[in-house]
Amino acid sequence: MICPFCSLLCDANDLNEIDCGLQNKSIVQLAKLRSQLDASFNESVTDTEMETAAAIELLKNAKRVLITGRVASVQTARAAVSLAMKVNGTIDCAEAGHVFKNVLAIQRSGIHSVSLAEARDHADLLIVIGGDALLDDCPRIPNSLNSENASPKTVLLLGTFTDKSTAAWTAAGFQPWSISCKIESVPTALTQWSRATLQFSPNRMTSQLFIAMDTAKYTAVLWSAASLRVEQTDLWVERLLHWIASQNETKRCAALPWTSLDGTFQQVCTWLTGFPGRIRFHDGNPSFDTFTNSYESWLARSCELESDSVVIVIDETAATDPFIAKMVFWLGRKFHVIELTSGSMRFPTAVAGAEVAADIFRADQTLLAHLSPSRECDKSRVRPAAYWLARLAP
Amino acid sequence: MITRLFGGECIDGVSKSEVRDLYLVQDKISSVSTDARLDAEYNLSNHIVVAGGIDLHTHIGGGKVNIARLLLPEMVRHGRSRLECTEREWQKIAPLSSPVPGTWETGRRYLEMGYTACFEPAVLPANARHAHAEMADTPWLDTGGYLLLGNDRLLLEWISKGAPQSQINDYVAWMIRAHQCCAVKVVNAGGIDAFKFNQRHLDVDEKHWHFSITPRQILKSLSHAVESLGLAHPLHVHCSNLGVAGNIASTMATIDAVEGRRLHLTHAQFHCFGTEGPHGYCSAAKALADRVNAESNLSIDVGQMQFGQTVTLSGDTMHQFANRKQARPRKTIFQDLECQAGCGVLPFQYRHDQYVHSLLWAIGLELFLRIEDPLRVFLTTDHPNGAPFTAYPHLIHLLMSYDFRMSVFERLHADVQSTSSLASLKREYSLDEIIKMTRLGPARALGLFDRGTLCDGGIADVVIYERCENPEHMFARPKMVFRRGTLVYRNGEFLATATKSTIVANVEIDAKMDVTLRKIWPIHYGYSSDLIRIHQDELLSDQRNIEFASRATKSVVIGK
Ligand SMILES: [Zn+2]
Repeated sequence: MICPFCSLLCDANDLNEIDCGLQNKSIVQLAKLRSQLDASFNESVTDTEMETAAAIELLKNAKRVLITGRVASVQTARAAVSLAMKVNGTIDCAEAGHVFKNVLAIQRSGIHSVSLAEARDHADLLIVIGGDALLDDCPRIPNSLNSENASPKTVLLLGTFTDKSTAAWTAAGFQPWSISCKIESVPTALTQWSRATLQFSPNRMTSQLFIAMDTAKYTAVLWSAASLRVEQTDLWVERLLHWIASQNETKRCAALPWTSLDGTFQQVCTWLTGFPGRIRFHDGNPSFDTFTNSYESWLARSCELESDSVVIVIDETAATDPFIAKMVFWLGRKFHVIELTSGSMRFPTAVAGAEVAADIFRADQTLLAHLSPSRECDKSRVRPAAYWLARLAP
Repeated sequence: MITRLFGGECIDGVSKSEVRDLYLVQDKISSVSTDARLDAEYNLSNHIVVAGGIDLHTHIGGGKVNIARLLLPEMVRHGRSRLECTEREWQKIAPLSSPVPGTWETGRRYLEMGYTACFEPAVLPANARHAHAEMADTPWLDTGGYLLLGNDRLLLEWISKGAPQSQINDYVAWMIRAHQCCAVKVVNAGGIDAFKFNQRHLDVDEKHWHFSITPRQILKSLSHAVESLGLAHPLHVHCSNLGVAGNIASTMATIDAVEGRRLHLTHAQFHCFGTEGPHGYCSAAKALADRVNAESNLSIDVGQMQFGQTVTLSGDTMHQFANRKQARPRKTIFQDLECQAGCGVLPFQYRHDQYVHSLLWAIGLELFLRIEDPLRVFLTTDHPNGAPFTAYPHLIHLLMSYDFRMSVFERLHADVQSTSSLASLKREYSLDEIIKMTRLGPARALGLFDRGTLCDGGIADVVIYERCENPEHMFARPKMVFRRGTLVYRNGEFLATATKSTIVANVEIDAKMDVTLRKIWPIHYGYSSDLIRIHQDELLSDQRNIEFASRATKSVVIGK
């Protein structure tokens, strides 16, 4: 299956078999969102139909609507954007903050990039930037980039990687080679190295580095904005993209920016509206603003207003958290919250690929896979998020 | 539902153009009057009645379009339409909200001009599901995709190892069906892959550094496969050397490479440069037009450029990269994709005062005017590469009026005015020719036998335009549009949605090839071929059908 947490291929047959830490991480992410909503719970105990009617009524009277959370499939993304348009709402997913660190840099200066299968087949040097958090977040990256047929590739780990990461790359058949340095300075250092204007005395390590970079025919540069610990990531990414572009004047080099979870939503929102997914509708027309349309800034602004704001939280993948199942429909002090979540008794949102067939992008954003339900599930119980979003539309 | 249309002049390029009655009986066209009760009747005196427009080359789906949208949010301006602009503004800004609007807008604006079917000409195999999903979200239009082959490493490897043609044929068939496409497109044969190996140039007889094969071999092999499989549409080729001075030589070599088989050359105006002339560039349109006129296996679409801001997007990373410094604004996206092809996105401003841009404009029109058979030259702007598709009415005006054409010609770069032969081409397209070029021609080229005409039994996609002195005004907004017999648009209002079809080539998958690919796909790509195969069911819903087009037979429709 394609993992709904990291969107990479996974050997697990079942969502419950996935053991990569991401499941917990994603729950933490949404818990953070919930805490920001700061609602005092006034849970209603009516049945689904009555609750739906109440939610529709709430939306009808709302002056401001935010749709956020996690969207894993094309079907849910379509329904979410469509609902946002009908209610003149704002839409921004919980993971988008990381995506837009890359997007901002690309929108300023473009990008040379490579998709996953291409890098796997063709790159003879991988430069991976970051720290152990990268593989904590996406443990299957080395395996996804490993081609059994090719001879072992060199992986240059730049940043704060420990033996743990080195071992993981070795286990996947790579020849890793870690140079510890400040992540902040990597784009500048790469520029300096490739200009051969080293500020420090070359040792064995750096001369090997020179040779590796010099003899590489195709270099792929990988980082994950979500697991980078640098200030002003977009500027950092932009500097790195400039270095990659400059390499292409004489050889081939391309970025493999890791965006993982938000890919499907971003793609669908972009083709429907013409904008990447951080938009606000006005008179049915979308407008895009990375800052004012972020869910954080929406919540901050709405706090000052009377309670005529409604937040719709979609949680398409978090299947197992027992707490989520209870917190569904919040009539908060500051916001009304309508939550679509799996396992809930009221708005049961299916898990893409686990309970319902769905289309989902792989991490390289190129490949859209069609997922069939991976196990028998009680079809009568499963209502995909798209169904509920369509019901909620005025 | 039975509708009678009377008093309008029916034009379809098959029957004689004349005022006659036309009936829309359920979703089909009929000329026979019926005793059954009419549900609606329209008096269409002073109107023309034509089939729905078909755009056989417009970029409306798949990764590259989305990448362009991502790159250029600042170009989006909502709330402007053609009719709200002054003539001057229209020259300056695209009447779409952006060069690459979202699907909702794309579908709306196409229908607003009387188009009912559009074809995405560059579906990267790995992007095929995305492209279909995106086109499914483009309302009102029937859609189809041409599968991008000729830079897929597996194919290059097989050709380089001397695989038998039968193996290539089976592979092409498998790829077409697995990705649910209707034709095969080649972009800079072998060149996109060569660029991944840092090769910056690849002529038709030059060798790919890694695979030691030439574009000629690839073109020959793929055109052979297209013919063997009986695909309705010929091999759809974006030639080598896009935009390079003197590229007429490689365009001619491309024609030679298919050895007399059918061939469609796309956005031909970009592949029609000689090397003489004031700035090392001149028009070679006459050479190509003469060849098309002489050889009936050839067809082209022009990709006519219009002055103004747009964004160019192409699988041809090699040449998009070569042009990177011409990007306006100065930002570009290049992608090496999935061992199959690539993508280059480059925002671009075509300017009157730029010699090559002015020359391009003249070359495009020269091609239209020099090619005699309107069934073998198609009206495209290669949206958004040459201009947005909403430029079609303006373009029709240029073709129908010599004086109007000259009024723009006079504003071109002085060196183009003094050297171009455009002023000597007095031909003015007739209404019949315009209709042939935008309906009958593309329908035939795609094997859509029940579209593009007003013949009995044809699909009742019918458009009514009010006659007007100025063809630009006439074709900018039809009076009515019927989709499958239902009135969906009238006087600027959208009245109903329409069932959409996905057009797919009617080819079978060879069982042995399926076994082979199941085995080697994971080695090549790192995932199972099951993951990428698009099943028929995915393309079906209450509002979506599949239609199989083939060269020999009438199309078959599958619904849910
Ligand atoms: Zn094109």
